[in-house]
Amino acid sequence: MSAPALSTVRVGDELAPLTRTVSQEQINAYAEASGDFNPIHVDADFAVAVGLPGTIAHGLLEMGILAEALSRWAGSADRLMSLEVRFSKPLVAGGTITCTGRVVAVDEAEGIATLDVEAVSDRGERVLTNGRATVRLSG
Amino acid sequence: MPDQSHVGRRYEARGQVVDGGRAGAMATAIAGPATAFEPHAVPPTFAAVYCLAPTLAQVFTDPEVGVNLAGLIHGEQAFEWPARARPGDVVDASAEITDVEEKRGMTFVTLRFEAARPQDGAVVCRGRSMMIIRGQA
Repeated sequence: MSAPALSTVRVGDELAPLTRTVSQEQINAYAEASGDFNPIHVDADFAVAVGLPGTIAHGLLEMGILAEALSRWAGSADRLMSLEVRFSKPLVAGGTITCTGRVVAVDEAEGIATLDVEAVSDRGERVLTNGRATVRLSG
Repeated sequence: MPDQSHVGRRYEARGQVVDGGRAGAMATAIAGPATAFEPHAVPPTFAAVYCLAPTLAQVFTDPEVGVNLAGLIHGEQAFEWPARARPGDVVDASAEITDVEEKRGMTFVTLRFEAARPQDGAVVCRGRSMMIIRGQA
């Protein structure tokens, strides 16, 4: 996928939604790669003991999936200039996350698009909110 | 527990190597059963490894700050990537506690981060994290 040209991007354009079911195996792999072995992510007994329905995905794993949705739209992760989110609700292991986004501003002089982004779970919970990203466009 | 007196504390982790193998493992973990979009690139959120982790490890073990790790939740995260981290880059990471607030029996700690390549001065990541700590230490 090539980067969208500045001249073709409009306010209101939407990202192709990226949906991913996050298994415990995936969470374990993320723990290994990130070095974050907080037991709420990898130890079901511990997670339940602290009041969670089960182990939950790392917020930064969800943010990584959102960054991938943006990277696919932008053509490369290299074009992602900034990303911020609030981790509003936990995503339980085995849950499905859908990341979406919409262009809210285009700075033609700088060649930068600003997008509102978020993610919802298959439980209907808004897991990532207050999301904002900036992407450098080509051309 | 963290309080206002800890605002301004700085932590440094120099010489962090951007490990290409581990970056690839993160790209694979983010993709799960799917194929990674750019399997050989450093995922943007790999900043968690070369910038956040080595400085947060110091924050979390600072006996004077006394973070209760069992009650810790990641509340918000912002990243900027002015330049791109590449596999093999060596970066100096730093963090500063910029705000501590008590609300509804919880402590909200905000930190700012930066990671720069001393070789050319390029900033590869700026970050802001808001951590929520529930309960008492």
